[in-house]
Amino acid sequence: MSDVTTGPRLIGFRVGSAGAALPIGIVREVTERPRVVRVPGSHEFVSGVVLHGGVALPVYDLRRFEPLWSRPDACAPPGADAGHLIVCDWGEVALGVLGDRVDLVEEAVADEGRGESATAPYGMSEAYVKRVLRRDGEAIVLLDTDRLFASLGVPAAQPRARRRDGEDDPAGG
Amino acid sequence: MKLLMVSVGEGRYAVPADAVAQIVDPALESDFHLEDAEAVYRGERLPLLDLHEAAGERRGPSPVYLLLEGARRRVVIAVDGAEAIREVPAGDIAPLPAFIFARPRRSFRGVFSDGRDPRLVLDEEGIL
Repeated sequence: MSDVTTGPRLIGFRVGSAGAALPIGIVREVTERPRVVRVPGSHEFVSGVVLHGGVALPVYDLRRFEPLWSRPDACAPPGADAGHLIVCDWGEVALGVLGDRVDLVEEAVADEGRGESATAPYGMSEAYVKRVLRRDGEAIVLLDTDRLFASLGVPAAQPRARRRDGEDDPAGG
Repeated sequence: MKLLMVSVGEGRYAVPADAVAQIVDPALESDFHLEDAEAVYRGERLPLLDLHEAAGERRGPSPVYLLLEGARRRVVIAVDGAEAIREVPAGDIAPLPAFIFARPRRSFRGVFSDGRDPRLVLDEEGIL
């Protein structure tokens, strides 16, 4: 059974054909996809790096991160590369995630919970899903950033939004 | 730092000039040839690092070869063009995060803005 709640603000986006979301507390900015320089020898799911404010920002293409997908066709790219870069602060490092149709997700969303039955229809592995939300009939998977970024090799750290004393990450990321 | 600007397929890279002992053009140097995964230069067998394969690029029709020299070993790298040597302030080179690499030994260590596209800097310590 689904519960309709007023949820915290999230950044929603598309990864291939799947709807995903990140807690807004870790998102520094969203830009149009800049020129990404491939880095030979990097992980397959690293698209490359961009120079962002003088820093080499690693850019991740979640479509290529196989463990995220329980059903390979769910992440099947329709052809074109993602059009936006979501720049995230994760502890001491910054990283970019590629996505399409980026927008805010807020207010009333139906929370379908988590679990194989909730995540399987969207083709994402339950291990990386914090919750499945539904907005206007469209499923949006709130990603478990702790687990996802750790699996991507990003150094473990508390996001800045959660490091302030007495302040929790409102999105639960 | 002085950097030698090179191209490998469509990729544009920079090699610390101090590490480049020689640029060998096989069309001009008769005592150079390739054998399997090695380069033989003036009788010395040297490891040939295939940057084209690592970068997913095809080797061009007339590559030139960089002989790189470090404290421990000498290696040869094929590039499709050696364009220029330029001075780039070390502070302009952003270090690449180590966690993006699939293996501990990496081939690139930094990136800097060079016109339209950023350019990667070869990590001579990682390959030599």
